Amino acid sequence: MDEIVNVEAVSRRFPLDDSPAHHPAHSFVSALSNASLRVSAGEFLAISGPSGSGKTTLLNLIGCIDQPTSGCIHVDGVDTSKLSPTAMATLRREKIGFVFQTFNLIPVFTAAENVEFPLLIQGIPSGERRERVAEALESVGLTARAQQRPDLLSGGERQRVAVARAIVHRPSLVLADEPTANLDTHNATQLIDLMHGLNRRLGLTFIFSTHDARLLEHTERIVRLCDGQVVSDSSSKGVSCG
Amino acid sequence: MAKFMLLAFRNVFRNRRRTMMTLFMVGGGVAGLLLVGGFFSFMFWGLRESTINGGLGHIQIFTADHFNRDEVRVLDTGIDNWRQVAATVKTGGHVRGVAPRIEFYGMVSNGDKSSVFMGSAVDPDAESSMGFTTHFASGRNLDGKPGGEVEALIGAGLAKSMNVKVGDGLTLLAMTSDGALNGVDVQIVGIVVSGVAEMDARSLRITLPAAQRLLQSDRVTNLVVGLDETENTDQVSAELSPRLLGLPQKLVLKKWIDLATYYKQVRSLFSMIFIFLGVIVFFMVLMSSVNTLLMTMFERTREIGTMLAMGTPRAWIVLLFMVEATLIGILGAIVGLVAGNMLGILLNHSGIHLPPPPGNTVPMSFKVLHVPSLMIGSSLLVIVSLALASILPAIRASRLQIAEALSHV
Repeated sequence: MDEIVNVEAVSRRFPLDDSPAHHPAHSFVSALSNASLRVSAGEFLAISGPSGSGKTTLLNLIGCIDQPTSGCIHVDGVDTSKLSPTAMATLRREKIGFVFQTFNLIPVFTAAENVEFPLLIQGIPSGERRERVAEALESVGLTARAQQRPDLLSGGERQRVAVARAIVHRPSLVLADEPTANLDTHNATQLIDLMHGLNRRLGLTFIFSTHDARLLEHTERIVRLCDGQVVSDSSSKGVSCG
Repeated sequence: MAKFMLLAFRNVFRNRRRTMMTLFMVGGGVAGLLLVGGFFSFMFWGLRESTINGGLGHIQIFTADHFNRDEVRVLDTGIDNWRQVAATVKTGGHVRGVAPRIEFYGMVSNGDKSSVFMGSAVDPDAESSMGFTTHFASGRNLDGKPGGEVEALIGAGLAKSMNVKVGDGLTLLAMTSDGALNGVDVQIVGIVVSGVAEMDARSLRITLPAAQRLLQSDRVTNLVVGLDETENTDQVSAELSPRLLGLPQKLVLKKWIDLATYYKQVRSLFSMIFIFLGVIVFFMVLMSSVNTLLMTMFERTREIGTMLAMGTPRAWIVLLFMVEATLIGILGAIVGLVAGNMLGILLNHSGIHLPPPPGNTVPMSFKVLHVPSLMIGSSLLVIVSLALASILPAIRASRLQIAEALSHV
């Protein structure tokens, strides 16, 4: 299968604002250290690890919303370290879908309008937008709730809208950061099943972070992080332990 | 783009209480400007019409020499064939009437005391046919009929200093056009109040034939033209100028605005005050809106981060904030226009009077004119102010670090 993500020896350090100037070695915190990972198109991959292990940082780097301190990341064959901020925005707009822990829907838009937003910023004509929004909402089982605003939807429904928004523009890759963290077990299982179904049916690549052991049972490949390093990968390929 | 505008519009009403407060503030600014500007406009209009109807007229005709040199003798720069000129002018459109005038000066005496006067000789019938108004403290207007006693109107201040009243007699002394001293006895028929104390202390008015006898000249200083509407002044002036070229004496036309020095000074002063108020309102709206919009930006940090994460161009974020602020400006302007005009109507029906301005003796009505250009100007001022106020929050929002914005609580 084609490789969709290639993370090569990536590190990410964050400066500490209150570090003493005469101790440069202690002036940053390392969120990710020399991590490597390869993901093939169509994979359904979970990144697991305790809080502070670097899951969100890794997803942010793969999602082109942050840049590594060292190393490089290829997304769909594009070296993201060489992209300008505008080109990165274009890459995110066209090739990546995001699902967030807190849903992050636009509260003044209806479910359908939220799903429509990625198409709007791509400049897709309104007729086509309507069709694709209807399709995406149908695929997450929310056609009947299309005209509701987020505050009238349950947590599970909001996250399904977020999934519909992430897939509506047919991205190469969907990144989900702790998508089930704000859901009860029932809704969390439903969401994972939904994502898994979309992965199988549409061939979409899903990478999501979680530290919920129950959800990991549904996942074929699990990459475990600890202290910013990849400590295990349940698949044989692409293992790299720092 | 329609969806984008819809997003901006809905965002405006996201925090209704805050939006209402902003609308009240912006609307208050517009209403304040409308009331102050409307009152100033009423004042300008009142001053303009009272200046014109007080005797200045809409257009005055002089000889060219009147402005080129000082008079060596009385009326030596006056108009010779003024009846012909008046007849020519009267044939024009929008002309209500033409009144000849002589401006002169001299001494006035009651036998015990003498004083300097600034004299004006008029044709009472022509003046009243143009609607020129004279405010009387006592007595009546001049009688235009020939024969009998020479009648005079004097200013209230002059009457007080000369200790005379209606029915008393005075002697006027003035230089004739030949340079000799001449005198005439007059009877006071009215005491007038112009509203300007300095004017009332010196003014004296007699009929044109009486002045021509006193000054020994058939000339007049100028012709005053009254029109149906002040707004027609430019048009009539443009039409009259070429028609006066064919006359023997070289004549010039002066529009009321060229002669109304006091009006221009008042207008200039109050226009500056209004501009100053406009600047205050502009900065008041600007500064408080920056604060409100920054607060909005901080509240929506995660949402902006989400939009940026999805690949929304940063320029869209800037545009979104600017459109939202502009919408608030437009809505605030509408609120202000409604409030300002309604308050204006209430004030106009309240019958409030203000004390006389310095140098004046007549109380002033407190009224507000509804001026379309003022409404447009005030609205644009707050809309531009809001749009400018949004620049800083919009740029800050567009420059958010996405990862940080997404973790914003």
